[in-house]
Amino acid sequence: MNKRRWLAHIVFRALVHRRGRTLLLLAVLTLASSLATALGLVSASMRARVAEETRKYGANLVVVPESARVEVGSGGLHFGAIGEPAYLSQEQFLTALAKSGVKGDYSFHLEGALTLKGVEIPCEGVDFAQVRRLSPWWQVDGDWPREGEVLGGGDLTPRHHVHPGDLFEFGGGKGVVRTRVSGVVTTGGDEDDTLFIDLKELQEQMGRPGQVSEVRLLADPGNGSLKDQAALLQRHLSGAVVKELRQVGRTSEDLLGKVQLLMLLVTAVVLVTAGSSVAGTMSTTVLERGKEIGLMKAMGGSRWDLLKIFSAEALLLGVGAGVGGFLLGVVIAKFVAHSVFAADAALRLEFLPVAVGVSMLLALAGSVGPLLSVFRLDPVQSLRGE
Amino acid sequence: MAAIIETSGLTRSYGDICALKPLDLCVPEGEWLTVMGHSGSGKSTLLNLLGGLDRPTGGSIQVRGTDLASLSEDGLARFRRDCVGIIFQQHHLIPYLTALENVMMSQYFHSVPDEAEARHALERVGLGHRLKNRPGELSGGEQQRVCIARAIINSPRLLLGDEPTGNLDHKSTTMVMELLRELRDEDRFSIVMVTHNQEVAAWGDRTIHMDDGCLVREERIKAC
Amino acid sequence: MTALKVIPQLLCWAVLVPVMSRSLTGMATAVTAAAGFVVGVAGENLLLAYVGGELPFRPLRGVCGVIFLLLWGASVWALYRRGSKGSDAEAVSSPGPLAAGLAASATGVLAGALTLCRLAPLDGGAVRLVPYLSLACAGAVLALAATFPARYLPERLAPRGIPLLALVVSALMVMACSVQRLDIFSPLSMEVMKFIHDFVHQFFESMLIPDHPFFRSDVWGYIGLLFSDKVGLWGGLALWYLPVLFIALALRLERLPSVAHIRQGAARRKLLASFIHERRLRLVAPLFALVLLTGAAYQSRFPATEYWDPKPVEVTATPAGQIVIPKKGEMDLEDGKLHKFSYSQGGRQARFFVMLTPAGQLVTTLDACAICQPEGYGQAGNAVICYYCKTLIPLETVGKPGGCNPVPVPCSVKGDAVVIDAMTLLNTWESTVQVTAHGKGMGK
Ligand SMILES: Nc1ncnc2c1ncn2[C@@H]1O[C@H](COP(=O)(O)OP(=O)(O)OP(=O)(O)O)[C@@H](O)[C@H]1O
Ligand SMILES: [Mg+2]
Repeated sequence: MNKRRWLAHIVFRALVHRRGRTLLLLAVLTLASSLATALGLVSASMRARVAEETRKYGANLVVVPESARVEVGSGGLHFGAIGEPAYLSQEQFLTALAKSGVKGDYSFHLEGALTLKGVEIPCEGVDFAQVRRLSPWWQVDGDWPREGEVLGGGDLTPRHHVHPGDLFEFGGGKGVVRTRVSGVVTTGGDEDDTLFIDLKELQEQMGRPGQVSEVRLLADPGNGSLKDQAALLQRHLSGAVVKELRQVGRTSEDLLGKVQLLMLLVTAVVLVTAGSSVAGTMSTTVLERGKEIGLMKAMGGSRWDLLKIFSAEALLLGVGAGVGGFLLGVVIAKFVAHSVFAADAALRLEFLPVAVGVSMLLALAGSVGPLLSVFRLDPVQSLRGE
Repeated sequence: MAAIIETSGLTRSYGDICALKPLDLCVPEGEWLTVMGHSGSGKSTLLNLLGGLDRPTGGSIQVRGTDLASLSEDGLARFRRDCVGIIFQQHHLIPYLTALENVMMSQYFHSVPDEAEARHALERVGLGHRLKNRPGELSGGEQQRVCIARAIINSPRLLLGDEPTGNLDHKSTTMVMELLRELRDEDRFSIVMVTHNQEVAAWGDRTIHMDDGCLVREERIKAC
Repeated sequence: MTALKVIPQLLCWAVLVPVMSRSLTGMATAVTAAAGFVVGVAGENLLLAYVGGELPFRPLRGVCGVIFLLLWGASVWALYRRGSKGSDAEAVSSPGPLAAGLAASATGVLAGALTLCRLAPLDGGAVRLVPYLSLACAGAVLALAATFPARYLPERLAPRGIPLLALVVSALMVMACSVQRLDIFSPLSMEVMKFIHDFVHQFFESMLIPDHPFFRSDVWGYIGLLFSDKVGLWGGLALWYLPVLFIALALRLERLPSVAHIRQGAARRKLLASFIHERRLRLVAPLFALVLLTGAAYQSRFPATEYWDPKPVEVTATPAGQIVIPKKGEMDLEDGKLHKFSYSQGGRQARFFVMLTPAGQLVTTLDACAICQPEGYGQAGNAVICYYCKTLIPLETVGKPGGCNPVPVPCSVKGDAVVIDAMTLLNTWESTVQVTAHGKGMGK
């Protein structure tokens, strides 16, 4: 038999002999490495996602009436809205824009709701020409609406059987709107469950002519920093708030940062605890096996031979726990991503070496003390006496 | 005949306690030496020194021409694996390995494990049918025979036994001693063995008696 | 600065000589190698001084290629011999003094020449006297001093025969690959790529399959993999590593000695164990050679050429919106090097450089091109390099638009100053950068 195979064999036998302890060590190491993996996975996929969310915005400033609803989060990271609806006058905005000297493209949005066969669906009044300019990433299946037509969100199709070209009667406003759905828009964001309707039409239906609930503005960044432009515009707009749209992204980034910090702390604590528990378990094992170690030395095993056997044991545990930890970590990451971020964490194989590395390092670090005592153990002392 | 062991003024003290007073001993190649003495008279101490498990505090000890005091820690390990086989009173077998694997462990430290040879060694000590049993499943006498197989597997020139029959009944003792004699006659190694038993001592060529770390008496049983 | 450039080579040299002197004939080998090194340095410098051009490099590169081929041959031979005869590892006797001396001096000459090339100025001409002399001295001293550590090198670790050859060749490859003009790894991968490309074409042609219609597009995707530049790299790496791997394999597969005649089990096992141990020790040389080869390939992939890349100087515009840079102000604009400036106004900013082309014309261009990310340019000899796509652009064409050339900005020379319109500059920059930033990830 080959020496290396023999080493693996006896290490395996020793581990099986102390089944309980081996399982305990495996569990601890698995837990630690799975947490590390989960942390890595969640941060990596969420970072990518947040970056994408932020990039998707065409507009860089948003004007909302004061005390209007504040949306927390965005897109897939949507945390709901707070406050009562409030409105802003189109006129006021346009004059403010002219006075402030801020230049840029803008689009008006009015949020409301209409009913379709008695079911309320969120809808948004927009000027389609403006929206089309400001949101070049919208993918419309069918056509952009012409006069008197509307655009449905992608999620309305399965829910309300909205297909391009269908005729519908929407109620809930002043009267019944009979209109054709010209196309279905998919963005992967909020827009997917919204019905887009002409701004004038919705204003009329809601009885709020000339009023909107949000203005998105793509200010020219060449004219100075966004912050300055927002301040400039704000000066001329009372009763409304001008915000940089990046803030929305930043909220999710902040949240992500906090979750990451929390996970980092938990992982650090777990790593330390795991390390010390490995150290404790290993040193009892070594104490218990003192006689065996002495015997091996008496048989002619050099200190290095012994060190090799015991570190092989730690490494084997580390590798096993690392693989297990990776699998568990993927599950944890999926769970966290799903329950906290309502998103999916992609499986990344590059975290496998990370998981194995973490648990191997941990196992080795925990066994440094015990290994030293193995190194120094005096065979005569350990073999003496019962 | 050339000496396998030569000590001069060999001492070993633990702090104030002098476990071994200056001792001059010469063991010729192929001799079976028995060491007797009261408990605490320094027999195990002497054996550990001879086996390179311990270092003397004074004097010199030469085994097969090498001065053990001059060897490094790793050098001593190499000496142990190449030159000596040790049998213990408490057997000291590795509990989670089978009889066969226990023998192969010794081969592993010496060079490479060789299963066929280990099996043959166990057959030689009459354990051909208990290869796959753990030490816990073997009787004391059988365990001691595994221990002997393990000690002789690397063809040492010197076999050390610290009360190898201390835990055995009369019948097993005879069996083990017969086995040892048989093996020695085949392989011509030297034996240094500690015992309290007069009967066991009678198997050897020469007996030395120790008391309080000193060699007090020597008797020759057979001419060698 | 110059000294830093040759440190990897000298390190290789410092490792190589002790190993060689230990494996060959000791002190004599070291002395011969030192002499060879000095001769190599001197000879190469003479060539550089009196012949110039590409000529001093061509033959050297050829020699490097030949010794690499030699290594290939040796490795195949090692594998073959192992297969045919089995173990007679002990039969590798040390070579006679003459052969040893020859090998040492040849290695020395090559090493010296290769190391000197690293110092050769980019624009031709010989190495200046001080670096030249100090390099020769350093090489000789290192070689002679190497006899001291050589004594501590365990006999068992000293490679003999083919493994030694592997070590020497790979060390020389490291030396060669750190000089771009001597690099043989990139031509190797290039050849591999070309070969695969031609082969696939020929293959389809011979099978009378007209290229596209019969394959679904995803099949073409897989075939396309054969044409990517990764194929060249991986293929090149395979050819690069294989000889040494073969040698290691030959060593590893060396048969265990026959031990049947030894009756005593312990002695038999001891012999086997010591043989296995020795065999493992002999693997050290090829493995170290692998490390060296990796270093060489890395140097070839990411060459450590330094570019002339000054920090941009902030400039301001006159009230009339003109940027005026004097020709002979703090810096001499007409020294043939590029001079970087940056200009900012409001939130807008632009980076540009001014340089004298070989045609004697002062040109102003953006520090960015129309197709790449604006990572800027550096100058190496008579070309500027785009940091993003690593294209070398000859100085003659700087100032002309198109491709990865830096985008020209109109300027005029008034008296002893260069005058640029600030607004034009900013607008050109913004339109360029907007386009290139938009096309992010689309490649060239
Ligand atoms: N590590 C130690 N520290 C202090 N004293 C020791 C140590 N080891 C042995 N001794 C002492 O050395 C003396 C000899 O011990 P040793 O073990 O050689 O006795 P022994 O002859 O083998 O006795 P027994 O027949 O009971 O095994 C005893 O007095 C013991 O107390
Ligand atoms: Mg005792």
